[in-house]
This record gives sequence, structure tokens and C-alpha cells, in this order.
Amino acid sequence: MTSFFDYTVTLGPALLNGLVETLKLFGLTLLLAVPLGLPIALGNISRFPPFQLLCKLYVWVFRGTPLMLQLFFFYYGLGIIANNTGWLFLRFDRFPAAVLTFTLNYAAYFSEIYRAGIQSIDRGQYEAAKTLGFTRGQTMFQIIIPQTIRRIIPPVSNETITLVKDTALVNVIAVPELLKVAKDAANRDSNTLGYLLAALAYLIVTLILTMLYRRLERRFSRHEQEAV
Amino acid sequence: MGYIVEMENITKTYAGVPALDDVTLRVKSGEQVAIIGSSGSGKSTLLRCLNHLELIDSGRVAIDGEPLVETEGGRARYRKDAEIRRLILHTAMVFQHFNLFGHLTCLENITIAPIRIKKEPAAEVRARAMELLRVVGLEHKAGAYPGQLSGGQKQRIAIARALAMRPSVLLFDEPTSALDPEVTGEVLRVIRELAAAGHTMVLVTHEMGFAREVAERVIFMDMARIVEEGPPEQLFDNPGSDRLRTFLQAVI
Repeated sequence: MTSFFDYTVTLGPALLNGLVETLKLFGLTLLLAVPLGLPIALGNISRFPPFQLLCKLYVWVFRGTPLMLQLFFFYYGLGIIANNTGWLFLRFDRFPAAVLTFTLNYAAYFSEIYRAGIQSIDRGQYEAAKTLGFTRGQTMFQIIIPQTIRRIIPPVSNETITLVKDTALVNVIAVPELLKVAKDAANRDSNTLGYLLAALAYLIVTLILTMLYRRLERRFSRHEQEAV
Repeated sequence: MGYIVEMENITKTYAGVPALDDVTLRVKSGEQVAIIGSSGSGKSTLLRCLNHLELIDSGRVAIDGEPLVETEGGRARYRKDAEIRRLILHTAMVFQHFNLFGHLTCLENITIAPIRIKKEPAAEVRARAMELLRVVGLEHKAGAYPGQLSGGQKQRIAIARALAMRPSVLLFDEPTSALDPEVTGEVLRVIRELAAAGHTMVLVTHEMGFAREVAERVIFMDMARIVEEGPPEQLFDNPGSDRLRTFLQAVI
């Protein structure tokens, strides 16, 4: 039991560093992907066919291929292209490549949640806004989108929790995140306790997120029943 | 001259089926017109063609003497979007399903368009909105959200929202059809007061008694056409057509 405790203390700092790396990737992705999803969602329902096609293509590609494959592409693939063409701006370090991949991937998922939310709003809302002189853009940003927020909190929170766990994927391009630290320790010390500690850390993070989203949901449900 | 609403020879088809067939409706300032008829007769469609919620195939629509759409060479030509937006602000519509904005309080529902769209001074608009809330008897609900109101209360807020735009003509599209019978009266009472105050209005309704009471002129539509129109006594007491007679027997 003492050795159990001692080992935890020994491993602690490394695991914490891993956790920080995980949280950085998670936070940056969320910060960038949540807003990026909106123009893609609007593009998907836009009346301008080229823009619509482009956004549909985007969602198809990023939802239709494995996230791990996308990581390989943005880290190794772009690196190779950069070397062969001399376009060095295409070469990303591990962490920026991870943030880029996750942002683009999650923006595709978020955009679909937003699109569904926007399309769930009653046609009467558009009609009322129109008779009151709102343009299409004003209607979208002042009437429709504010009403979708409450409806999309549950699916967005779900996606966010998936993101926490997906960050573990970046150990395939050797970003020193939580799971990689645990794995390295397990290999080095022939002791799997690191995995258990990592699992605990993930659980604590997702628990905190769940509570945050529940509060957010409550805050937005002040107008609980829909006004049709 | 002096027409607030001019709809002339309006034609519209939905997938080959006529929705409006050469319909002409003119409304003078201060006049209250009720449109009656069975479902699918075209009465709501006619109203919705006036504020650009539906597009016409041919004919002419003018509001306050300004054309919204005219027909040239057999095709309806609408004005530019910005002109249309400006013109339809001369109208204000009360919908069957209220269509209040769920994320805004009752007061905000009333003030948002005058402040954000018409760019009127916020304090002035809010004062006017509070006055309108008093008119519809809901000043205590200013801070409530639509989801917290009954159907009758929602519809009264929707009427206040329409009035806050100070339109030339109020359009009511079956304002009591989605309401429980026990709250229909409170909404009709507000509309009755507005009619008595001389507001110009066009009212599409299934409430025959109410149409008779508030309207100076009643229009009976059937199969996308106006079949009969005239003072309420004439239409309700001496229907001139079999179709109106059949309709009245069915609804009364």
C-alpha cells in the first residue's frame, strides 16, 4: 500500500504535465471549433449554391474519415508536402497540428448540431420577424440563433465530453498528453497504475464539464416552454 | 383614392392549383374588413400576399398608395428587397400561432422591432410599449417570457407587438383559431376595442358572430375567388349565393 502511494507521488508531476497538455488541446479546440461551426452551419443552409456545396463537402470529409487519419494527414502528410514543394508554412509542429486537426474536425460536428438547431425553429418565427422588418441576416442573428442556444446545449455538451477523450488520440503523433504519459510510465516501470490515475483524471474532468453544462442549461431554460 | 390596401386582380397558383383567382380587395382608411370562408378558400393566402409572406403570380398590390408589386407583360414584378421591407412596415400581422419570440420577454417582444429596425429612441418605445401592455391588460407580464403565458395572453402580447409598429393596417390571420374557447373572448375584446377606435384592419376569421359585429364589410371567399361581399347584415341575413348559404349553414 505504501509503495502504491509512493508510486502515485512519483508519477504525479509527470501526469499533471500530461493533464495540462490534454487540457490545453481541449480548451484551444473548443475555443476555435465552437465559433467555426457557425459559418459552416449557415453555409449548409445558405441559398448560395457554391458556398453550400463547399460546406457540405467540408462536413462530409471531416465526418467521413477517421480523426486519427486526419491527424496523420495534418502532421505527417502536410510535412511531406512541405518538404517536396518547399511550402514550409504547411509544416506544423506536433501540438499545432493536433489543434488544427481537432478544430477542423470538431467544427464539422458542431456545425451539424447548429444546423439541426437552426432548422428546428418554427417557420412562424421567420415570418413574424419578416413582417416586423427584419432582414434575413437580422432574423438569423437576433431571432433564430438565440433561440437555438438552449436546444443545442445538450448535444454540444455531449460532443465536448467526447472531445476530452479524443485528445488521447494525439499520442499517435507523440504529443505528451495524459494518456501518453501514463503509457510511457507503464512501459518504463512495468506498472499499470499510471493508467488508473489517468482514467481518474479523465473522469474528474468530464465530471466538472457535466456540472458546468448542467448549470448552463439551467441558466438558458428560464423561458422553459417554447413560445410557438 | 384614400385606399390603404389595394390588391387588384391577384392570381396565384400552388403547384398548378389556383390559390387566388383574379381577386380584388381594396380597404379604405379606418375600414374594418372581415374575410370568411372555409379552409383552403384562399383567405389566409390573400392576407399573406399583402405583406409578402406569399408571392403572387400576377396582379397589383399597393400599400398606402405605394406599389409593392405590379404586373408587366403578364408577370408580377416586385420592388427591391429594401423597398419591400420598408413598405410592409405599413402593415402589421397577428398570426394564428402568435409567433412570439421565445427568448425575449413580453416587453422586449414589443420593443425589439421599433428599436432595432425602425431605430426609434429606446426610452420612448418602452414607454409606448408599457402603454400598449395596459391596453391589452397585461402590464404585469412585461418581464414574463412568452412560454409562461396562456394562449390568450400570448395573442394579446402579439397584438401589442403589432400595434407598437404603428401600422396603417392591422392584419389578423385567424387570431383565435388556436385558442381555447374560454380565452377567445379576451382576445376578441381587444380586437373589438381596436376596431371601435378606428384602426384599419383586415381580419381573416372563423368567428362569424365576431365578423358580423366588428366588420363594416364582409368578404366571402370560396375556391380561390371572392364570391360575395357587402355589409355584414346583407351577407349573413340575405346570402346571395348557394355557396355562402351552404357555408353559413355549416358553420352556424
